[in-house]
Amino acid sequence: MATPSDKPPGSEEFALPPDVRRRRLWQYFRPYLKWFLAGSVFLVLTNLATLSIPQYLGDAVQLLRETVGAPGDFDTSAVRSEVITASIIIIALAIGAAVARIFSRITIFNAGRYIEFDVRNALYDHLAKLSPAFYGATPTGDLTSRTTNDVTYVRLLYALPFLHIVNTLVAYSIALTRMVGVDWRLTLACILPYPFLLFGLRRVMYALFTQTKVVQAKLSDLSTHIQENLSGIDVVKSYVLEQRECEHYGEENETYFQENLKLAKIRALMNALIILIASTGTLVVLIVGSRFVIDGSMNLGEFVEFNGYIVALVPPTIALGWVFAIYHRGIAAFDRVSELLEHEPQLQDPDDPGSLPEPSGQHVGEIVFDDVSFSYDGDDAALKDVSLTIPAGSTAAIVGKTGSGKSTLVRLIARMYDPDEGEIRIDGVPVDRIPLRDLRCEIGFVPQEPFLFSMTVGQNMRFGLDSLAYDSTLDKALPDEPLLGDESFEGALTQRDRIQEAIDIAALRGDIDGFREGLETLVGERGVTLSGGQKQRVTIARALLVNPRILILDDALASVDTHTERRILHQLDTIMQGRTSIMLTHRFNALTEVDKIFVLDDGRIVEQGTHGELIEQNGVYAQMYQRQKLREQYDQ
Amino acid sequence: MSDTDSTTESDASNGSTDRKDKGGAAIGSGFQERKLGKFADTALVRRLWKYMRPYRWLFVVCLLLLPAVSAVSLVQPWMLQIAIDDYLIPGEFDGLWFIMVVYAGTVVGHAFLTYWQQYLMKYAGNLALRDLRQDIFDHVQQLASSFFKKTPVGRLMTRMTTDTENLEEALSSGLVTMAGDLLTVFAIVVILMVVNWQLALASFIVVPFLIGFTAVLRYFLRKAYRTVRTKIARLYAHLQESITGMDVIQLFVREKVSRDEYSDINAEYRDANIRAIRWDAILYAVIEAAGSITIGAILWYGSGQALEGIVTLGVLVAFIEYMQKFFKPIRNLAEKYNLLQNAMASSERIFELLDTDEIIESPADPEPLPQRPYRIEFRDVHFSYTDDETVLDGLNFEIEPCERVALVGHTGAGKSTVINLLTRLYDIDDGQILINGRDIRNFDIHQLRSQFAVVLQDVFLFRGTILENLTLGDDSVPFDRVREAAEMVYADELINSLPGGYEFELAERGSNLSSGEKQLLAFARALILDPEVLVLDEATANVDTDTEALIQKAIERLLAHQTSLVVAHRLSTIQSADRILVLDDGQLVEQGSHDELMELGGHYARLVQLQYATTASTGGEDGFIEPLDHDD
Repeated sequence: MATPSDKPPGSEEFALPPDVRRRRLWQYFRPYLKWFLAGSVFLVLTNLATLSIPQYLGDAVQLLRETVGAPGDFDTSAVRSEVITASIIIIALAIGAAVARIFSRITIFNAGRYIEFDVRNALYDHLAKLSPAFYGATPTGDLTSRTTNDVTYVRLLYALPFLHIVNTLVAYSIALTRMVGVDWRLTLACILPYPFLLFGLRRVMYALFTQTKVVQAKLSDLSTHIQENLSGIDVVKSYVLEQRECEHYGEENETYFQENLKLAKIRALMNALIILIASTGTLVVLIVGSRFVIDGSMNLGEFVEFNGYIVALVPPTIALGWVFAIYHRGIAAFDRVSELLEHEPQLQDPDDPGSLPEPSGQHVGEIVFDDVSFSYDGDDAALKDVSLTIPAGSTAAIVGKTGSGKSTLVRLIARMYDPDEGEIRIDGVPVDRIPLRDLRCEIGFVPQEPFLFSMTVGQNMRFGLDSLAYDSTLDKALPDEPLLGDESFEGALTQRDRIQEAIDIAALRGDIDGFREGLETLVGERGVTLSGGQKQRVTIARALLVNPRILILDDALASVDTHTERRILHQLDTIMQGRTSIMLTHRFNALTEVDKIFVLDDGRIVEQGTHGELIEQNGVYAQMYQRQKLREQYDQ
Repeated sequence: MSDTDSTTESDASNGSTDRKDKGGAAIGSGFQERKLGKFADTALVRRLWKYMRPYRWLFVVCLLLLPAVSAVSLVQPWMLQIAIDDYLIPGEFDGLWFIMVVYAGTVVGHAFLTYWQQYLMKYAGNLALRDLRQDIFDHVQQLASSFFKKTPVGRLMTRMTTDTENLEEALSSGLVTMAGDLLTVFAIVVILMVVNWQLALASFIVVPFLIGFTAVLRYFLRKAYRTVRTKIARLYAHLQESITGMDVIQLFVREKVSRDEYSDINAEYRDANIRAIRWDAILYAVIEAAGSITIGAILWYGSGQALEGIVTLGVLVAFIEYMQKFFKPIRNLAEKYNLLQNAMASSERIFELLDTDEIIESPADPEPLPQRPYRIEFRDVHFSYTDDETVLDGLNFEIEPCERVALVGHTGAGKSTVINLLTRLYDIDDGQILINGRDIRNFDIHQLRSQFAVVLQDVFLFRGTILENLTLGDDSVPFDRVREAAEMVYADELINSLPGGYEFELAERGSNLSSGEKQLLAFARALILDPEVLVLDEATANVDTDTEALIQKAIERLLAHQTSLVVAHRLSTIQSADRILVLDDGQLVEQGSHDELMELGGHYARLVQLQYATTASTGGEDGFIEPLDHDD
């Protein structure tokens, strides 16, 4: 088992150990074993039917040969009806083969699709377990290609090779048996060239496979160049570099062209080889077989029958070549997919889980940092020996300039990362002893970058509620009390009403009334494009609705105007009554009513206290506050 | 007949739709069904012909090879017929060798001609495509900055890559292969009809059924694939968004719910594919069966004729052989048709791009540039990037020869715009920009731009060596001059510390250097150009203290000698300017030296005051006015 690490999957070629690969391949194959077996049976039936046709054809031809060549007055009607019977049998066999073929393809390809379905789900499940550190270190493009194209290749790895290998085996065994039954010498002569042709085909297919990769790499060079050029187009123009850029592109274009030519050569060669494979058998039958027919050791019917077998073997032979290329590509893709699946999530649930104490009237949400240090890359510490206490039920603020570690601090509370040193406790329980998902149920996080999904506005707001409603593995009950704690309120509130309440609190009423479809309006290019402020307010509603023990606002109102900000913050006070909220902000005038302010600088807490205390101290906070006052004056 | 071809083709085409969808519109915004082009749009074909014309003889050779390829392959059944009728049945051996040699010859010839036909076809097509690709790139280089401002890079990329690739099918195989397939089908019909039209009709008995059946199945198959495309687009949109927003999913413990959603779409996608597999399997099996059923039909009807002595057994066998060669081209025709439709749609989009003529042009008869030194004047300049947002609103100022001018003001004041207008990346809406009293629109645009050395915030470095980046690929620049310039701006030491020194290979966009290092290189590059006017848009990016000190000294030296215009963020740069222009809301609000403006106590004074407060609280590492300003 791999050690837990969030090192990104390597960009270099990764190969699974053969036994692990075998085990994993089998793991996905196993559930559909029956389907593949059924498919194999259908393949046998198909080939039995198809390969019976040459025999009936041969017999009919031989019968005609004997009749037409026969001297004297011969009653041809008996022969005619016999041949017609053979024709009917051939047609029936053709239809039977078609039916069996339909079923063979359906069972095997469906099984492939089911495997693909399983692999995709497994990938998604696994991705959901990987931590932010993993996503930070892995390029999205890489993840995308592993989860999309590679999975497609994995599907092809199962269904196509299975179908073709089984089909080839079956077809060859049946055809060879029958061919040997007709004439073993001719069989030998016909089979002789095939190993060579097949060998040649395999090599060409491999070359095709390799050259395709080269061409794709060149194409991506070309794309990179275009991208580079387009993003620097103003500089290109300012420096009058158009000519140079065109020439440079011309060179790459030429290389791409040359590599494409090589690919064209290989492809043409492959097609020529396929033609040779398709016709060589018949040629051998003609050269060797006609000798046997003339010297009487073989009759014309057998000659035609034999040719029928040889022609029927052509497609499975060519298929083998394809299978080779598909297999190579599929295994490489499978390894890349497996590498993701083998990647151990960094954040693990505790072996001896503890649980947060139930809120029973008293204030909850106490947060304690005990000498916490953390760095993203093991090098530059983002937090250094941070110790702080945010009392249960209070409102705290964390300020500091960009890069001082504010966001890191709150991310540690939600256990998006584990600290390198020290301990973080919520209501007395160390965070790494609380099951991860139970912990996060209690945290309403409003991130700095308001990320909304392209679903409706309403669905975005209900995002966390849906977890509580539909995920039976979560203990937390769906909250049903009103957001603004009304003492006199009794009973339960529907989620619809709570959402309406959240809309008002997040000052979204006007915006949503403005959308043609209200809450049902799609977010994103197909629906409305929300402004930064609108997005932030939706994310606030999203966080409030889950009724969290701790609310974290990571600079969450930066794009909201000051008036609205004040209104929202004012209500948050009431909503979070008895629970804790932490806000990170650059706007200081929101901080006058905060219980405690922590000033971070370069990963350390340099000052803490209320607004008034900090102003009095006349330290970093006071200066930052002064500066903001100045800017406000300037802006006016 | 050919089992494999069709399997891999159907699977491959399936795979390729996946890939296309991924490259389409922005993730999560749903997707749009690709518009299919008209099959034969004469205007488009004419334009494509322009690119094929230089290589028309190659195309002609390919076309001529087609009948040859068909011919050699269609000679084979005939040889078989002769062998059976004239040698095998009478038991005659003499002369059979000739038939064998001819047959062997056709086998080799077929392979050989196919090789050359296909290779030359690709050759010709790729030649045309290479030219087209170059034309698109060259054309795009001509387009004005305003075009790039409103066109997403992704869309342009698609035109220049995916769409051109689609066209390859049409240019280098599609059309000609279709012609070849048609020719083969036609030739078989003619041969069979001439030899024995009654037997020929019997042989073709399944064809109408096949065509009808195929049409119906294709209809269902197309519908099924359309669903597949919709589903995969949704699936990938969900996946992509989940990956991007995974932290939100995890914070709201929605992993399981999101996974169920994903699994549902995944199941829909699977089921859509299973429907497609069903139609595909039926279609495939039907075409396969057609060949065998035809054997039965020929035997049924032909046996009567054979018994009456109307046809020989050899002819009967030859008919069977011909009909086995008949069905594959028919199947190919249908598939190629779809490919071509796709290619036509792509070419339409490509030509649309080539027709875009948003170009800032040089005058037909440009004036020579005036005598140096230059005096630059902005006279009542109005400008906006879009119709509704005015950026410059009657801007007036002038820069005297050899003067050092600094532009300051906060975000949106129009500072960077001034640079864009001076180098004519955009044309002004109203007013005039003058050099020595002459409107810059009178000069050749490239000559005009080469008077300026522009160092932008975002330093543009390309893949290549440092030397190539410094000389911009101009080999005629002596190395001494490069080195001298590099020393001047303190870049020489940095370069020599890199492995390979001046031959150090830069990654794409210079990503293997720090932003401070990139700036030093850009300064050296500007010096090597030895421009008449130096234009600098100071970067605000964070650099370490040592590099920052180097940059400050380098700027000092850089600006020492010629006329310069700096969009300034550093106090040191601003203070050493001869004159400071303070921009606000697209107008000049104050100008003068640092001291004069401080004394005035207006806009500028407040800016500086704010900066002192900043320096006090943060240790002074930030650039001047950094918190307010990034880019216009």
